[in-house]
Amino acid sequence: MDNSGKEKEAMQLMAEADKKVKASGSFLGGMFGGNHKVEDACEIYARAANMFKMAKNWSEAINCLNQAIDIYTDMGRFTIAAKHHITIAEIYESELVDIEKAIAHYEQAADYYKGEESNSSANKCLLKVGHYSAQLEQYQKAIEIYEQVAMSTMDNPLLKYNAKEYFFKASLCHFIVDELNAKLAIEKYEEMFPAFSDSRELKLLKKLLEAHEEQNSEAFTEAVKEFDSVSRLDQWLTTMLLRIKKTIQGDAGDLK
Amino acid sequence: MPSPFGVPDHVKTCLKFSQRLPRSYGKMSSDFETYEQDFGTITAEVTNKIGKIPKLSGEEKTQLVLNVDKQLEEVRELLEQMDLEVREIPIQSRAMYNSRLKSYKQEVEKLEKDFKRSRIAYSDEVRNELLGDDAISSESQRAHLLDNTERLERSSRRLEAGYQIAVETEQVGQEILANLHTDREKIQRARERLRETDANLGKSSRILTGMLRRIIQNRILVFVLGGIILLTIILAIYLNLRSH
Repeated sequence: MDNSGKEKEAMQLMAEADKKVKASGSFLGGMFGGNHKVEDACEIYARAANMFKMAKNWSEAINCLNQAIDIYTDMGRFTIAAKHHITIAEIYESELVDIEKAIAHYEQAADYYKGEESNSSANKCLLKVGHYSAQLEQYQKAIEIYEQVAMSTMDNPLLKYNAKEYFFKASLCHFIVDELNAKLAIEKYEEMFPAFSDSRELKLLKKLLEAHEEQNSEAFTEAVKEFDSVSRLDQWLTTMLLRIKKTIQGDAGDLK
Repeated sequence: MPSPFGVPDHVKTCLKFSQRLPRSYGKMSSDFETYEQDFGTITAEVTNKIGKIPKLSGEEKTQLVLNVDKQLEEVRELLEQMDLEVREIPIQSRAMYNSRLKSYKQEVEKLEKDFKRSRIAYSDEVRNELLGDDAISSESQRAHLLDNTERLERSSRRLEAGYQIAVETEQVGQEILANLHTDREKIQRARERLRETDANLGKSSRILTGMLRRIIQNRILVFVLGGIILLTIILAIYLNLRSH
């Protein structure tokens, strides 16, 4: 009951917004109140999208948001466009589960934020992009993103405690691609960022490298377990580590 | 055997025993057996008393110690008697008695060692006397040690849990810092926009004042021109009437 009510409202709002946009196309409207109409239309689109979200009608919501984004970018208000991109990406992430589109939207949002000089928000979006790219096995992209973010956060006193996490993730992605790369990368990072060398993550990485060299999956598992006992491994890390472990076992299988 | 120091003790005991028991060559073995019996009783008593010594203290202890001393001496004299007896037995049956004698001697030595040890024994009683009645006995000391080990284990477990929590706290802290940074940027942007708006408002207010001035100017102009036109019309009518 409630949902269909909301949907009807949302439809109404959308129709209103469409009318406004079209109305501003005519000559008179353009002369007098064109801009106002278009701004109102934007807002109405955003409200309609919200209604659709509440009614769980995701595709319609995304539709509305897309239109709103177009208008905002025309007006040059990129911040709010970026915010809408993030909303869309979240919907793709959670409800419609279309990771590639989500990545695309997050990337757009990050670009807009960069343009508006809000590096923190840009980094937030980039991290999500890296996260999902690594999940989709686009490791090169993920590596670049993580490295970039890590370098920019390194200097900022507020954010430097996060930098080691990003370096860790970048190293893991390197690891999956190629072990030698990982070694070189880790050395590079250690040089750049001495605080990295004290972290438990680095110790874990070194142990993993050793285990990989010796093709010893038990040592690998043990090192991972030890790390896990102190601080829980989240889903992303577990997936990555599992992939690395499979490469060890795969290599061992090949040797036979 | 007369010695230059007077009659030795064991001779006295010998005489004592010889007064007690009639000595005859025929009853050699039975003498020996009597000696054995005596030996047995006295050693039993001594063992008993030695067991009691650590538990006692003070007067009783000294008395008991003297007692045991005397009894040990008696036992030693008995042994010497038995030795003499054995020597008088014909050589054929000596072996058995010899071996028995040896074992008795060993027993006596052991008793003497025990006696010595018991006199310096560390007894619970003495400890209790020193520390009052709540002193811990050795049994509960073991329990005490186990308790300590358990306590140590518990502490190490708690330390580990504490470390985990510290790591988690660090992660939470990281997130919060990142959020703070984002918010900082947002606030900065908002402040910039606010300043711009302020500047714009100032500009618009100046423009409006300008507009107002111009309006007033225009109105004055209109009135002035209106006045001039009126004057011109009046002048024209006046001249017209004049020329008529």
